[in-house]
Amino acid sequence: LGPLAQRACPGLAVSAEEAEQLVSALHNLTRHVVYRGLTRAEDILCLFPENFHQNLKNLLTKIILENVSAWRNEAQASQISLPRLVDMDWRVDIKTSSDSIVRMAVPTCLLQLKIQEDAALCGNNPVVSALTVELSKETLDTMLEGLGRIRDQLSAVANK
Amino acid sequence: VSSQQFSALTEVLFRFLTEPKEVERFLTQLSDFATMNKISLGPLKNIVKSILLVPNGALKRNLSPEQVRADFIALGLSEEKASYFAEQWKVNSPTLTRLAVGQTLMINQLIDMEWKFGVTAGSSELEKVGSIFLQLKLVIKKGSQLENVYVELTLPQFYSFLHEMERVKTSLESFS
Repeated sequence: LGPLAQRACPGLAVSAEEAEQLVSALHNLTRHVVYRGLTRAEDILCLFPENFHQNLKNLLTKIILENVSAWRNEAQASQISLPRLVDMDWRVDIKTSSDSIVRMAVPTCLLQLKIQEDAALCGNNPVVSALTVELSKETLDTMLEGLGRIRDQLSAVANK
Repeated sequence: VSSQQFSALTEVLFRFLTEPKEVERFLTQLSDFATMNKISLGPLKNIVKSILLVPNGALKRNLSPEQVRADFIALGLSEEKASYFAEQWKVNSPTLTRLAVGQTLMINQLIDMEWKFGVTAGSSELEKVGSIFLQLKLVIKKGSQLENVYVELTLPQFYSFLHEMERVKTSLESFS
């Protein structure tokens, strides 16, 4: 028996099976509303069977409507995806010396990307890894060129 | 060794220094030089080895052409030949310096970046979604191996990333 059904049992004075049925039905209802993206009270009200208790129906619909967009956002956030970028940091260093050349002044960029593995795979313990990448000025320029092209393509798509 | 032969040899040496990967070509040119001038290859190789030490040391210590010339004279080379070598050094040192800097240690160097973006149409949880995602593939050199890293970004993240990268560029430029 799931934790919710267990908690419901004593409060509602129902048997274990009935509690389980109740939780299951509620779950199905809410998942259906979220899946279809229903946003109007009428659409939700008509899901209930004909002889359903009127006030209970209205109360449930009201509660569901209040939560539906939060649930949709959560579903989208935990969707399967490639690893996601969660944070990024950078710093610029000047290389002054190395084993191949004793004196120089070469600026270089260190970029740290914090990447979170697929949320759907990790459940409640997301695995976040940090990737540090070094970019020379030339690499950065090329990258900016690429990013600029992405931006242009995005604007073109948005303006269609 | 006559001055003509010396210039030819210097040319071979510098061509190798500016293209250090062309080892075979260098060795072929050396043995051609040896045959043409009737010098045996063994001693020639030893001489070349010692000569090569000078530009490598000079590069490391950022020596000026005059200092290179002085070094060669100290080693017993004639003034004329030393000056000739120093001249060649002056001409080639930007390339050689760039090569040395390029060899400097880089941590997880970014080699390449590919991208695609599209729209998420639906999922098992949501029938209709319609959100735009951007996927980046970064090719990173870790040690001697290449590694592909895949990352997904939302649009706001992308714009933020672009903005930060432009700030990095400004920063790098102010230090060049």
